[in-house]
Amino acid sequence: MSSAKTVPPRVKSEESKPPSDLPGQESKRPTVCLVGAPNAGKTALMNALTGGGFHTANYPGVTVTLSRGKSKPEFGPEVNLVDLPGVQSTVAPSPEEELSCKVLGGAHHSVRPDALIIVIDATQLERHLKLAGFAARSGKPLVIALTMMDLLGRAEQSVNVAKLSLALGAPVIPVDGRTGWGVMELMASLRESINDPSKQSNVLGGLPDEPVASYAAVRKIIEASGAVRKGNPLVLAKDSVTARIDRVVLHRYFGFPIFLLILMSLFAAIFWAAEPFMGWIEAGFEAAAQLTLSLLPEGVLSSFIARGIFGGVGAVAVFFPQIVILFFLMTLLEDSGYLARGAALVDKPLSHLGLHGRSFVPMLSGYACAIPAVLAARTIPSKRERLLTIWILPLMSCSARLPVYALLLAALLPGSPWKAGLALSCVYVASMLAGGLTAGLVSRFILRDRSSSLLAMELPVYRRPLIKPTLRMTWSRSSAYLKRAGTPIVVISAIIWLVSNFGFGSRQELEPGAPPPSLITVSELDHSFAAQGGQVIEPLLRPMGIDWRVGVGLISAFAAREVFVSSMAIVFHVAGDEDSQQERLLEEMRTATFAGSEQRIFTPASMIGLMVFFFFSLQCLSTVAVVRSETGSWRIAGLQLLFYTGVGYLFAAAAVQGLRLFGVA
Amino acid sequence: MLRLLDAAHNEWYRIESLEGPEEDCRRLLDLGLTPGEEMAVIQAAPLGDPLVVLVRGMRLALRRREASWIWVRQ
Repeated sequence: MSSAKTVPPRVKSEESKPPSDLPGQESKRPTVCLVGAPNAGKTALMNALTGGGFHTANYPGVTVTLSRGKSKPEFGPEVNLVDLPGVQSTVAPSPEEELSCKVLGGAHHSVRPDALIIVIDATQLERHLKLAGFAARSGKPLVIALTMMDLLGRAEQSVNVAKLSLALGAPVIPVDGRTGWGVMELMASLRESINDPSKQSNVLGGLPDEPVASYAAVRKIIEASGAVRKGNPLVLAKDSVTARIDRVVLHRYFGFPIFLLILMSLFAAIFWAAEPFMGWIEAGFEAAAQLTLSLLPEGVLSSFIARGIFGGVGAVAVFFPQIVILFFLMTLLEDSGYLARGAALVDKPLSHLGLHGRSFVPMLSGYACAIPAVLAARTIPSKRERLLTIWILPLMSCSARLPVYALLLAALLPGSPWKAGLALSCVYVASMLAGGLTAGLVSRFILRDRSSSLLAMELPVYRRPLIKPTLRMTWSRSSAYLKRAGTPIVVISAIIWLVSNFGFGSRQELEPGAPPPSLITVSELDHSFAAQGGQVIEPLLRPMGIDWRVGVGLISAFAAREVFVSSMAIVFHVAGDEDSQQERLLEEMRTATFAGSEQRIFTPASMIGLMVFFFFSLQCLSTVAVVRSETGSWRIAGLQLLFYTGVGYLFAAAAVQGLRLFGVA
Repeated sequence: MLRLLDAAHNEWYRIESLEGPEEDCRRLLDLGLTPGEEMAVIQAAPLGDPLVVLVRGMRLALRRREASWIWVRQ
């Protein structure tokens, strides 16, 4: 191993300050692209170079858009860094691979690299050097970052860095992006290459494009260099740590039980470990709302800030702990290498439904929240499978539905929490089945061309995840989620508050002697725009067995599903502190009747109908926005919204009418 | 000659040729499954599909469909 860490002599030379160090030369800052095969440790290196959290995982193909950053000042004169998606093959490239090809070919409109950092996994030299040939053909000066040096010992391999560098005619620097080891040397070498590109005459650019010839050429270079002592292939196959773990987790009988156990622990952690934090956040927002009400003079503004902003944002922020825990555990699973195995395990059942093994990660995330789930679908290679996965994600029972189901089940099955719990589990299982069924039907009848599906997925070696990078990654993913989901939620909450607190002046009940109202004025909910809208659509709501007040709740739930609960409290005039609120709301719901009649609104039939509606309906405009940006198509996002909301409505109405037919009120 | 699909586990085989959809085969070639290269099937996932194979020091999950395109010789 000692030879493995030899640093090539080039790097040692002390730096004369290059001219680009002068202040005010921001625009002259060179652009450097990181290229390499998926799973080569590229994104971890990006993290180390920029000090900012980028998406990194032990799961092939995580980088799919261009993430950009600036090198940390401690590494000398700054460079712009662009993390390019991994390129496996230039034939029938995925949209991500196409993007990388475009940048390397100099055809991208904004990213024009001055130099390349080619990231190569030391245990996968042949494959990664072959891929490097593609990038090197661009003729840009390059530095090779050799990663995974710590794994060479396991495979009884070693690599002599100096000899390799000599044979390739390019600087080779061993690095570990997770710990930052070697990054300083990498940057020094990179600067040297940029300042004096003429020094380079690397052999990689001369590699043929045809894979058989290219692999043969790479092998010849490596063998001639004498830099590599090859490992024992039998060890890799049978006796390595990875092979031993795989024999257990992919075992014919234990494989699936272990998989289910891991999934169940993940769910348990998401729901139970998050609970105290959710309580604190809820209390925090309530306190902020109260403080606003007491500090600002009573009026529209204070109410808007307290109820519209803090209330609306708080309703969504309570789910943040669940999201953080989800991301943390997913990052652990990814970095350890298990997630790729999970994807391999479920590939067969999922591919029957027209999905891909990799659809499993987004589907799993969908049980916490559809927004990160839609983003996670990027790792699915074929466009058809990616689209199909995104299409079924709104069916996964996200945690925003939980408060709604909890309220309705408490009203439906009073006094028997275990029955409610059982019913809830059934809802979760049913949502998975509905997702599978929908995927199966769509792929059978609509997206029928299944020819382009290829698994051929690398299973990375198992590694112990490091705490610091895992936490950094968790934070960067969680904060990206907040930014992504937060903006629409604030806007929509504000709009919903406005329409439920303002109405046409002419519709208001006037106190005697009051001045005539202006056209639009502050109003009680009963006379607000929301109520008017609700009354207009009431005929539509009748088949579902509900009145306009519940309709207002359903409409407000488009901001976020759980807003339904707080809207119900508003429309049924329930006030009071947190603990007694649900009790009183349940009491109100038990006695609520349709206006001008004795007929109850919340009957078993109508409550089951509401649950059916929430089960299917895409009541989350943030999801619509994310689907639109990920698919690049308003049509798909809009169609999805109409389809699921329509299906939800039809099934809910059918359930209510059917139940009534069988004598259930 | 036999298909990789029918190969015994934990035995080394030499790839002879790839016969399948052109683009998919090209991608497999790019991944390093080139004729002349040695590879072994290590195990199968619980449902018998996909297979876990070792080639060029890389562990790869291959669907049975993909493994049926690869002709090998012991």
